[in-house]
Amino acid sequence: MTWELLGWVVIGGAALLVLLSLFLRFDKCYPIRKLPLVDGLIETQAAAMERGEERRVLLGDRFLPLAYPGLGWHGLSALSSFLSQESGVDGGLAVGTADGSLAVFARQIVQNRYRDGFSPLLHQEGARTVLYGPTPLTFTAGLLPDLVHRPGGSLALFGHYGPEAMLWVDAVGRKKGKVFAAGGSLAAQAVLFLSVKDILIGEEAFAFPLAHQPDRRTARQLLTEDILRLALILGLLIGVGMKLGGLL
Amino acid sequence: MRKVLAAVLLTLVGLLILAGYAFQDFLAPVLGMVTGWGLVLLGAAFLIGIGYLLRMHILKLFSGEKKTGMSAIILVAFFFTLIAGLVLPTGSQFFSDLILHIQVPVETSLLAVLAVTLFFASLRLIRTRGWTPLSLGFLVSAVISLVLESGVLPIMPRSPADQAASFFNRLPLAGARGILLGMALGGLLVGLRVLLSIDRPYDEE
Repeated sequence: MTWELLGWVVIGGAALLVLLSLFLRFDKCYPIRKLPLVDGLIETQAAAMERGEERRVLLGDRFLPLAYPGLGWHGLSALSSFLSQESGVDGGLAVGTADGSLAVFARQIVQNRYRDGFSPLLHQEGARTVLYGPTPLTFTAGLLPDLVHRPGGSLALFGHYGPEAMLWVDAVGRKKGKVFAAGGSLAAQAVLFLSVKDILIGEEAFAFPLAHQPDRRTARQLLTEDILRLALILGLLIGVGMKLGGLL
Repeated sequence: MRKVLAAVLLTLVGLLILAGYAFQDFLAPVLGMVTGWGLVLLGAAFLIGIGYLLRMHILKLFSGEKKTGMSAIILVAFFFTLIAGLVLPTGSQFFSDLILHIQVPVETSLLAVLAVTLFFASLRLIRTRGWTPLSLGFLVSAVISLVLESGVLPIMPRSPADQAASFFNRLPLAGARGILLGMALGGLLVGLRVLLSIDRPYDEE
């Protein structure tokens, strides 16, 4: 078996499992794992809304990061799951990104919610879509003054970003704001581990949009991720065993 | 109807691109064309994004807010760079000097600030995360890596100490691979959910 064929088997198997999860109801015999950090974020957001503080959601600096495919979409999915909670308040949500296409998509998502009749306050005046800068460091240079002059209650990081996220977190921390991080590059996850208490690392970051709005459909998707994770762990253990046994 | 059409179109294009990897001989021309269209669309979206950026700074400048000096500088720098980029030929020495002597030092200084912030954050690690096995493991492995990478320990090649150092050097690599594998798994599932129109953030009801 070649590596290419193995890749297709993994993609095919995962696609089959995702499709099966739509029709099979095997979630009753398996406890769906909870992500307590996500519940904490929902509470933080609600508290910030009640206090009338600004909430910031950052979608990352790239829509299609080559090294981390899927992170751009992850940011957009996360934004979508945020809007249900935001639709009942009088604005105060700022969606920031460093990628023009992400800014356009984010605005489209917000406007679609507006058209669907959730809240007129989710229109541009209510939910600001801001491109702070077109590159990671210009984004930082544009975001930092905003974080200092318009301190918010919470900052949620999604999508792809690098270790410069540490500067944003530090600025928010100085103003006693809460930070939640999910996603980011490997270096970003490592540096944010130092100062962010509520951080989702690795594949857990991708579970955020599902865990944020738990229902039967998303629970089954989470279960699919768990099954694949278990399969991956088993595959690694079998690989180690075969290597130790001299078969690989 | 519009939403169904968008979902069907997205699934078809996604499957076509995926099939293009499997049947490169047959689908290479179509794949190139579709990818080209995608890139043009992304480029257009990027331009619209730049429009947002300009709009934000222009509005800030004329809103009567205090501290709008930075917006003025950004706008002047933007239009200067835009005009210089349009007028000057590709590979102009003046343009590359402009980038090398202004943008690179500014970005480097931001990285220097980041290094200092990182240092202080690492000192506050236990205060932030408490005495948990994870934070202790992080701290100990960071200290071990620092000591081993600094080269202050006189380690003889092929000695037991060298083997132990090699083992400790591989540990962070194993951890990084574990996280990357997890992210690859997450990315694969996000891609499949979008491809199969299960996850549609762009027109979710």
